[in-house]
Amino acid sequence: MLLSCNKLKSYIKNSNDIDWENIWKTFTIRTAEVESVKKVGNNLDNVVIAKIVKCEKHPDSDHMHILQVECGEENPVQVVCGAPNVRVGLKTAYIKVGGHIEGIEIKSRPLRGIISNGMCCSGKELGISDNHDGILELPFDAPVGMNIKEYLPIEDIIVEIDNKSLTNRPDLWGHYGIAREIAAITNHELLPLEISEIEDENKEKLKITIKEPNLCYRYSGLKVNNLTNNKTPLDMQIFLYYVGMRSISLFVDLTNYIMLELGQPMHAFDSRVVKEIEVGLANDGDTYTTLDGIERKLTKDMLMIKNGNNYFGIAGVMGGLDSEILSDTTSIFLESATFNAGNIRKTAVALGLRTEASARYEKSLDPNLTTYAIKRLMYLLKKENPNLEIASKLTDIYPNELTEQVIKLNKKTLKIYMGKELSENEIKEILEKLGFKVEINKDFYNVTVPTFRATKDIKIEQDLIEEIARMYGLENFSPKPLKLDLTVVEHENVYNQEYEVKELLATKFDMNEVNSYIWYDSEMLKKIGIDKSGIKLLGKSENNILRDDLSLSLMNIIENNLKNYKRFGIFEIGTTIENNSNRRKLSIILVDDEKNIENIYMNMKAIVKYLFKNLKNKNVTFVDNINERNYYEDTLGKKVIIDDEVIGEVNVLSKRVANKIGKKKAIVCTELDFDKYVDIEKNKILAKDISKYPTVELDYTIIMPDNKKYIELLEVLKAFKSNLIQSYNLLGTYENKYTIRYIIGSDHKTLDQKDLSNFKERFIEHIKNNGLSIIE
Amino acid sequence: MEEELKKIVEEMQKELTGCEKEADVLNIKSKYVGKKSRISEILSNLKDMSIEEKRKYGSLINNTKKELENIINEFLNQKLNQNNTSFDDTLDYEISMGSLHPVTIVAKEVTDCMKKMGFTVVSGPEMETEYYNFEALNIPKDHPARDMQDTYYLDNGMLLRTQTSGNQIHAMEKYGAPLKVCSPGRVFRNEDLDANHENTFFQVEGMVIDKEISIENLLYVMQQILSEVMQSEINLRLRPGFFPFTEPSYEIDMECSICKGKGCPTCKNSGWIEIVPGGMVHPNVLKAGGIDPEKYTGFAFGIGLTRLAMMKYKISDIRVLNSGDIRYLEQFNIK
Repeated sequence: MLLSCNKLKSYIKNSNDIDWENIWKTFTIRTAEVESVKKVGNNLDNVVIAKIVKCEKHPDSDHMHILQVECGEENPVQVVCGAPNVRVGLKTAYIKVGGHIEGIEIKSRPLRGIISNGMCCSGKELGISDNHDGILELPFDAPVGMNIKEYLPIEDIIVEIDNKSLTNRPDLWGHYGIAREIAAITNHELLPLEISEIEDENKEKLKITIKEPNLCYRYSGLKVNNLTNNKTPLDMQIFLYYVGMRSISLFVDLTNYIMLELGQPMHAFDSRVVKEIEVGLANDGDTYTTLDGIERKLTKDMLMIKNGNNYFGIAGVMGGLDSEILSDTTSIFLESATFNAGNIRKTAVALGLRTEASARYEKSLDPNLTTYAIKRLMYLLKKENPNLEIASKLTDIYPNELTEQVIKLNKKTLKIYMGKELSENEIKEILEKLGFKVEINKDFYNVTVPTFRATKDIKIEQDLIEEIARMYGLENFSPKPLKLDLTVVEHENVYNQEYEVKELLATKFDMNEVNSYIWYDSEMLKKIGIDKSGIKLLGKSENNILRDDLSLSLMNIIENNLKNYKRFGIFEIGTTIENNSNRRKLSIILVDDEKNIENIYMNMKAIVKYLFKNLKNKNVTFVDNINERNYYEDTLGKKVIIDDEVIGEVNVLSKRVANKIGKKKAIVCTELDFDKYVDIEKNKILAKDISKYPTVELDYTIIMPDNKKYIELLEVLKAFKSNLIQSYNLLGTYENKYTIRYIIGSDHKTLDQKDLSNFKERFIEHIKNNGLSIIE
Repeated sequence: MEEELKKIVEEMQKELTGCEKEADVLNIKSKYVGKKSRISEILSNLKDMSIEEKRKYGSLINNTKKELENIINEFLNQKLNQNNTSFDDTLDYEISMGSLHPVTIVAKEVTDCMKKMGFTVVSGPEMETEYYNFEALNIPKDHPARDMQDTYYLDNGMLLRTQTSGNQIHAMEKYGAPLKVCSPGRVFRNEDLDANHENTFFQVEGMVIDKEISIENLLYVMQQILSEVMQSEINLRLRPGFFPFTEPSYEIDMECSICKGKGCPTCKNSGWIEIVPGGMVHPNVLKAGGIDPEKYTGFAFGIGLTRLAMMKYKISDIRVLNSGDIRYLEQFNIK
């Protein structure tokens, strides 16, 4: 929102004492964020009011004239001017030789052979409007020779406030509210606004009905006749221009002016077309053309202003094309209303039409503003139209009046929040400057909240504490440590465990952590021919299915990386949505050429084993897994089992799918249920004494039949019992030959030749009894 | 005498030439400088010589013995060792290193710091109910944050959390007061992607509830955390803000580290950088968490982890963070 400091000054007594350029730094930390402070009109000098006393056609030009202008000097000055609106008697802005405009010095120079001393200026050249159609036209009573800056408020400071930081302050959406804030910050007196009481005895009430009192809190209307002057005074035009609005005509400009001053949007209808006003909902599917000429589709949730049986405007958003004021009107109908903030916002969003009015209504305006705004507008209108006639009663439909509320502010609460104690007088002074009324009691204050603060942001005592804290000065708070508390508290360690796993995978196994999206990439699913029917995002047709398989959702990341890497490993801990609930998952994926599948498959199993051994001191068992998901290979799927519980799966992406992601690539994925992982308790390490006697390594190579796998050999080995066995493990394989290393020893003695040969005999017999052969 | 000594040296050198085994060298050593060597014999004869002869030959004999020892040692060190070292010692291999996501690294730094201050790290669900994401946080039905524009609503009546603040409620319900928790996590906003906007990013929530917690405590804790994370002493200021779940609410600004508060393009000439929104926990939020606002007060804040990571590593395009592009991510290897 743009603010004119000239306008703000006019509301504050002794406002020249305020440093208007620098006050905004304080405003930022007291009230709202200031985005920029810009001086305007200061690159202009030696511009005075002049009167054209002679006007002749330039002999060598089809559009230029040679003017003689009076500008307060002894003799008229000769100026050559190309503007079409030059005429004798016109008063305009004239820049003298040696003066500056937009930083450029104006000199005497010939124009098509005729000397021009200085220049007559357009509004655009002066920087006070976009109008460059002709030179500025000043009223007939403008004093010749006067510096234009004394006559018009050209010099100003324009401030931009971040709209977002005003979200909860409906009262700051007009200059007067900002002035109240500045006055409070600088300890100045806020001046009351001049208004015009409406003399409407014996006038007839307007026909106004509110059908939806929950959506329209108040509707005030007034009809005014005998309006002959629809020309906006120049100073108001400049103000409107500086704060980003276009001047249209007095009647329209005044409604905008009131909105910029008080924050109350108003509307002026051409009263010749107003019959009977009704505020009610639209019908689904109806269309309506707004002022900007665009046809809008309406829904049954949109609040409308209706006239007779026709739509007349979209409440709080924009008027209609047919309600526009025509240039020949002398009678207007003024609307000043308050609507439900949420409804207006929804309508504006649905229509994609956010206007100055809707922006304000969205903030929850004070309904007590409506008639006040009309009275203020009437005061300003009367100045330009002294003979106007009040043509109706000030008709005010206000079903549920908003009255002032009292909030009890406990002194103790205030002290806790502030961390310090302020005096009763300080509290009272701060709140009263902002328009609150304060009654001091022993343990508390009774604070009456003005209705312009009550619609949104001041509801509870903490809201008052916020007011006190900011006006006391947030810069006066100093950091204070909390009380010493030495309780050891760790409620949960999910996060620590996540980090532990990530760190292990990255540092030990050379893998890269990725972050991805919680939904599947639609294009990828289509490409690999997988249908997923999970929970869906509303209002989205692409990338709208939430993932139930973390690894699968990483396939586009894999595809992209295959452009640069032949083999790699990635992992992520993320959420999947399964059976309508959140599951935390760890996905580990290894990718390599198809010919290396055995290698990465074995690596994957080793990684999973290592992870559980290292972080939980648990041994993993893998068992065959018949996969329900057909995009994984059936034969290679494994369940990951810890303490008899399935904790995840190792899967190989089916050839058919893998090939679509990368030609001749193998993709091995592990998915672990991290919620379960977190709950697994770490096995304690219990130290075992080490035997004093040496151990012996015995290697046996066992030949397995072609149809048997290692897991079956393991069963056989498990069944072989001997109290000499310290440990055994697979040393290596060659074709169908598996070499197992046994480490044997005793706690009581050094093994002798007899012990060894006994062991060996028993073992070989065991193997043979189980139908396997052994290389002796 | 000089002649003889010279000859001994020459003889030994001759014998060493072509010697390849350490044992041979040691044999030569004992032959020439051992107890039974000629030089030892000459040395022991020294005591029988006249004072003049002692003066004349004493140091000469000793020096010769030292010379013999030096020659042997040098031969052992250089010639013999050199024969064994036949690899290129300038070769330089590397053990390849994986990487952690930059957001993970920054989250670890922030939570580590907060853990030192006694915070527990808690988690919460990404698919969330409207109650935890909005209602319990004092965000009323018609609040703009609830719009479809900002929130991903789901066809099961739930939504993807738009903030980690819902974890405030989960933590209060689970653990009660007093409470010091932080909660890093992924959040979702329905936004179009560009260099500065993502629909999926990370925040960390912080919350303290105890008796008599004040605005000044909030300021202190923020200063501690941010100084630690930024690895420098920083200045903060509070500025009025507006968030439904805190009252009073503040934007916490950090003095611009580039211009030290004087104003520069980075801080848009204000001297301050908006860094953390926070404030005193709204009584309604305490109530929703089952905590009596008459007894307890508290503060909460949310740090944009993704933004912090971008600031820290000078990441110019937010989209690389969710791209999974290893070329980019592998820069973030941890030591």
